[in-house]
Amino acid sequence: MLRAALHTRPAPGAVIRGLLAAVPLAFLLVLLIAPALRLLLEARATGTDAPGWSALWLPWQDPYLRHRLLWSLAQAAISCAASLALGLPLAWVLARLEFPGRAFLLRSLMLPFVVPTLVAALGVLALMGPGGLLARLGGPDLQGSPWLLLYGNLFFNLCVVVRAGAESLAQVSAARLGAARTLGASPWRAFWRVEWPAITPALMSALCLVFLYCFSGFGLALVLGGQAYATAEVEIYTLVAHELQLGQAGALAVSMMTLTGLVAMAYAALERRLATPARADRVLRRVPDGLWPWAGVLAAVAVWGLFCALPLLAIVWRAGLAGTGAGDVWAVLREEDTLQALWNTVRFSALALVLATVLGLLHAFAARRSLLLRALAYLPFVVSPVLVAFGLLLLYPGWTGSFWLLVVAYALLAYPFVAKSLAAALDSLSPRYGEAARTLGASPWRVFRRITLPLLATALRRGMAFAAAAAIGEFAVTLFLSRPEWATLSTLVYQRLGRPGAANLDAALVLACLLMALAFAAFVVIEWQAPEEAAHA
Amino acid sequence: MLELESVAKAWHPRRGERRELLQGISLSVAPGETVAILGPSGSGKSTLLRLIAGLETPDAGRILFAGQDITGVPPERRQCALLFQDFALFPHLTVQDNVAFGLVEQGLARAQARAQARDMLGRFGLERFALGRVWQMSGGEQQRVALARALITRPRILLLDEPFSALDTALRMQLREEFRNHIAAFHMATVWVTHDAPEARAMAGRGMLLEQGTLQPQW
Repeated sequence: MLRAALHTRPAPGAVIRGLLAAVPLAFLLVLLIAPALRLLLEARATGTDAPGWSALWLPWQDPYLRHRLLWSLAQAAISCAASLALGLPLAWVLARLEFPGRAFLLRSLMLPFVVPTLVAALGVLALMGPGGLLARLGGPDLQGSPWLLLYGNLFFNLCVVVRAGAESLAQVSAARLGAARTLGASPWRAFWRVEWPAITPALMSALCLVFLYCFSGFGLALVLGGQAYATAEVEIYTLVAHELQLGQAGALAVSMMTLTGLVAMAYAALERRLATPARADRVLRRVPDGLWPWAGVLAAVAVWGLFCALPLLAIVWRAGLAGTGAGDVWAVLREEDTLQALWNTVRFSALALVLATVLGLLHAFAARRSLLLRALAYLPFVVSPVLVAFGLLLLYPGWTGSFWLLVVAYALLAYPFVAKSLAAALDSLSPRYGEAARTLGASPWRVFRRITLPLLATALRRGMAFAAAAAIGEFAVTLFLSRPEWATLSTLVYQRLGRPGAANLDAALVLACLLMALAFAAFVVIEWQAPEEAAHA
Repeated sequence: MLELESVAKAWHPRRGERRELLQGISLSVAPGETVAILGPSGSGKSTLLRLIAGLETPDAGRILFAGQDITGVPPERRQCALLFQDFALFPHLTVQDNVAFGLVEQGLARAQARAQARDMLGRFGLERFALGRVWQMSGGEQQRVALARALITRPRILLLDEPFSALDTALRMQLREEFRNHIAAFHMATVWVTHDAPEARAMAGRGMLLEQGTLQPQW
């Protein structure tokens, strides 16, 4: 009897995981799920002519809102297709060829993850907008066209596909590829029959992420989409902040959440399938030895330059140009508002980073064996910041303008980066290390302290670096929850952008440079690792 | 004396599915004795070692050491060292810190533990690697470090899970002799799991075949 009772008791591991999960789950419940449900109720209660649950179908019945949703889907789908078409060849070149500057190219593909959305949007404008580089070279001013948003999407997302593609191509078995070649497959056929099936899961997972970013992205669409090409996310913001149509906004938000939730589930499922130990028989990179391989390298560098480097260079160029003009544009850096905003950005981000790290650690460990928990870590990616902020205001009106509400909202948006990075590292961490340590006398806590945590340090630092960059660049939540005296650098950029006149645009560009420098600095400081550690990682 | 009394363990390949992996296994190993467990892959050899080490709990039966029931004792308090097929050396620690790991867990000061670890590495002819990292070593050297790490805490039970399977034949022959001498010096109850019959005969005074969940004496 006793033995039977003992065996029906949950294993200690399950109890510990449950306890670990409780903190991030409670956090998600209070700060994300409850506000989202509150919005849902708002949508149901005030859903125009047809109150009740049928109001949730409103966005699909209303021609204007349907158009917004369909455009959101279309621009995300086009961005996915273009990222794949441009990214896969670039990934192949990086994974299979050894050429000078390859390591730099690969590393620089991390830049778009670090660049704040508003900075990237300004970069695109500096390149293709009014008075931009393209216009100065005699090209068209593309403002008001869908190209700005699509190009911005590619800037942010091409690197997602390239990195996933290059990493998974590096894992393809050299033996299998060799077997295919000796069995009569040409290099092209071998790619389609051996390499492509091996990298498809990683690519699909990356495309899910690209879709999520493009579909529910806010900052880029707000600045680059304009009136004609605003996405549903921007529409929610407009309905809430300018038109006070809370019901419509809620109904639209529910449609968005349903779609993104499905994609996020697919993404989480794919991510878990990807956990494979590193392969020993990797394909060796070869030095380009003819016209075609070198043409491939040149094309890869061209794609990188055009979609990853150019917007950042354009913003620095425009800021530099503004500095040489009549007024002293750089004086904006010495203004009291700017210094206060810099201080606000730093303190909000630092506090949020501490909180995000704790939450990310707890969530990653708790979600180790649960697909559902793992998918929940992506909720903050799925639910738009605009929605979160608005839901929070509706649900906790007493906390409006509260410093800690702003900080926890920042942490909520930043912690999935930590959780995601750690979850991937945990997947590939061999359980043998912990077991060996246990048999050598280490308690579970000591195993965590002496083995697991040091082995996860690289992934933890990387996750924290992305979280810090996200917090520094955050502005959707700040727009809603902040007090005027809590303006951050990103809201300051947005304010300047909204004011008329070239001087304000120039000031926005200079502030964007400062914001970009801050995000890069935080990223480099946190992610920096000793050469020996880097060699092992 | 290490004793297993009617130890059973089932495996659940899928939810609702159950396969009896070990059925009423009884075994005793005296201090200083080495018993080899042979068997095809998937027969449950590694699971048997993990049960003895405390990394898994049996569904039924008891595990005793020196007459005491240790079935519910956590692995860190069993004084039972396990050598893994893939060595499981800690990549973030130096070679000497790998070897000193168990001593630090026993509460020894780090400097003292390191000094003892260097002595132990000296016995294995590996002192020149003390400050290096494990991934800079060859497979044979790594397995020697793993044995040094296991022996330094003077365990009462030593479990070896196909320790040479990742190594080439010439190295195996060389290490057999070396391992036998080191193990003999520590007078432990040793269980050696392998699917290589000549290796088992060379290392162990007694051999058992694990097949369909039960143990059959071989020599």
